[in-house]
Amino acid sequence: MTASERRFRDYMRAFNASDWDALRRFYAADVELIIGNGTTLLGREAIVDFYRNIKSWTSRTIEIVDCFSEGNLLAAELESEFVALTDAPDFPTRPMQRGDRYYINSFALYEFHGSEYRRIRAAVFRREFRSLIGE
Amino acid sequence: MKFVPQDFRGWFEAYLAAFNRGDFDGFGAFYADDVIFHGQAAQLRGRDAVLDFYRKVRARLDEQVELVSFAGAEGGRRIAAELRTTLLARRDWLEMPTGPMRAGDKRQSVNIVFYDLHEYKFTRVRSARLWPQPGTPK
Repeated sequence: MTASERRFRDYMRAFNASDWDALRRFYAADVELIIGNGTTLLGREAIVDFYRNIKSWTSRTIEIVDCFSEGNLLAAELESEFVALTDAPDFPTRPMQRGDRYYINSFALYEFHGSEYRRIRAAVFRREFRSLIGE
Repeated sequence: MKFVPQDFRGWFEAYLAAFNRGDFDGFGAFYADDVIFHGQAAQLRGRDAVLDFYRKVRARLDEQVELVSFAGAEGGRRIAAELRTTLLARRDWLEMPTGPMRAGDKRQSVNIVFYDLHEYKFTRVRSARLWPQPGTPK
């Protein structure tokens, strides 16, 4: 495992633990993040605020299916599951009700410089919504 | 002796070059016989099915794919590629799976595509749309 792959696993551990101070250290100050629903976020604080907000509505865990790197680019396949902790009508992808589950299988590219991510793009390959009450 | 490219990225770029010039034998040689293909416009299994699909596409439009970024996994087991695709309709194709096109229409998209490999053949190709997302300006 390369240093950049180890660092990525540390990054995901910080994310899953909601350790925002640790997470912040992985981002360049002017990092750009484009996520699977088309949202673009600029800057370390905007990203942490966005994730913190999402995690106030849902528990989210990300599992690394695979990751590998070449040069200054790390590629990852990820599986995320969101469970709504409360009704979340403004959840970015679709409204969720407490107990609903939302699963995504996504591909992400992380451009890094030194130990900081500068540009991140993530695209959703598969998504599945599981309503607590059925649809 | 097993084939191992000296330059993994260069090998992948040769695939894209063959694809872009419509060299079906050339780019078809990169697929395993039983490749699983999850494209933006089709879900297919097998090299013949993929080539048949692209022959149908090529009869209606010109498709050019540009490599934006690339990462190859150790041992040649996987590739992640960010690809910009440009479609130019040569004639009307109203049943185009990703949306109707009229002759002269141009459409671009950017996708992150993961290629699983075995002995430098694609065994699975999966494409995830990065841009544009549904409902966003093209």
